[in-house]
Amino acid sequence: MLITLERNSGVPVFRQICDQVRFQVAAGVLRAGAEIPSTRDLGERLGINPMTVSKAYALLEQEGVLERRPGLSLVVRSASPEAGNGAARGATADPKRDLKLDELARLLRPAATAARQLGVPAKDAIEIFRKTLRASDASHPNDGNDR
Amino acid sequence: MNHPHHDQIVLAAEQLSKSFGDRAALLGVTFAVPRGRVVGLIGRNGSGKTTLLRCLQGLAAPSAGRATAFGVDGLSLGDAELARIGVVHQESRFVPWMSGRAHLEFVRTFYPRWDNARERRLVDAFELDLRQRIGTMSPGAVQKLAIVTAICHRPEAILLDEPAASLDPPSREALFTTLFELLREDEPAILISSHQLDDIERSVDWILCLDKGRIVRDEAIDSLQERYARWRVLPAPGRAGIGSGLREDSFVQPWIRSKLVEPNGALLVVEDAEPERESFEARHGVTVDAQPLRLAEMFKVWTRAGAQ
Repeated sequence: MLITLERNSGVPVFRQICDQVRFQVAAGVLRAGAEIPSTRDLGERLGINPMTVSKAYALLEQEGVLERRPGLSLVVRSASPEAGNGAARGATADPKRDLKLDELARLLRPAATAARQLGVPAKDAIEIFRKTLRASDASHPNDGNDR
Repeated sequence: MNHPHHDQIVLAAEQLSKSFGDRAALLGVTFAVPRGRVVGLIGRNGSGKTTLLRCLQGLAAPSAGRATAFGVDGLSLGDAELARIGVVHQESRFVPWMSGRAHLEFVRTFYPRWDNARERRLVDAFELDLRQRIGTMSPGAVQKLAIVTAICHRPEAILLDEPAASLDPPSREALFTTLFELLREDEPAILISSHQLDDIERSVDWILCLDKGRIVRDEAIDSLQERYARWRVLPAPGRAGIGSGLREDSFVQPWIRSKLVEPNGALLVVEDAEPERESFEARHGVTVDAQPLRLAEMFKVWTRAGAQ
């Protein structure tokens, strides 16, 4: 699990952990069934109170990102039975896809606020996003996605 | 469930007041610190932090109310309870002709639970030269020795009065790393007073803020971080320069805790304001960008309010 904390950002540490775990699950870095570090281990690694880690894990469990296996540690929850992947299908048919879109929506919120404050109209903002995507595709030509 | 001890209260005060002559240092202070919690005790100079720490250890007698450790009044603490407390004072007075080594050898004899491995780790991390006599040590080195002295006997309550003031950044980091190590092993209650708000923000779970002898905040830092925000307020697109622009007196909502208003924009510190955001935008014809707020900014709001 890849976690790095901004300790003086004003964002609660447990939120930072939640956001980063959620992102990694959505991105497939953390796969269904993967065991995550104990509160003690992660607390030690990050130099924080293990109780803060517990708080983050409890929230992720409540959100259904993690689940507790009886008698075992916490693992990444398996989404409903995975029917193949990669194939283009309706966004709602694939719960994993939803997680990705939710994550992207969350990360775009600050950009949306900036667009409003700058007075950039929606269509121009969307065009910028499209261009930015294209620019980042160009630097990763082997992406091979169905965009 | 993995933390069976968390409701055990280790340090507490009930309606604690302390006066020196006609100067009130503490006024009706009530709080409780359970095991496993790291509390940052903050406040301006003379706000009562040191007096509070002294009352908890029985070094000062309350004028009214109580200060307790392990449920025992500060003044009645016996050897058994005192052995469960670790203290770093603002200024430590150790025997000047003793070497650091001799000092630790001496202190260790009082504590059956003295942790030699921790002592060695900490001395290494602090790069402390134990051959040096205390009288010739720099203030920073004496402070480090005081910290080693205070926490190697595996205390269940740790009181630190400005522990990091004379420490360089790597030593401050070593101090906090060690505190978290203690937290994992013994789950002590830790109370740290400090003016280094950045250190406090990054290492404590809880904030206890004193102003003029009263508690003005007693709350989890997570909760504070979620409740407070900085709003950057700009006129909504197409409405720039409307009327006479934004005015100081246009923002009178009670949840605005501080404001800096210019005709074409404003910076506000707000508390519990997220539910109000949409109606605020509509009412004033503005857009709001909400940003996280640092502890140092919250501190200004709390202590300035008290000063008025």
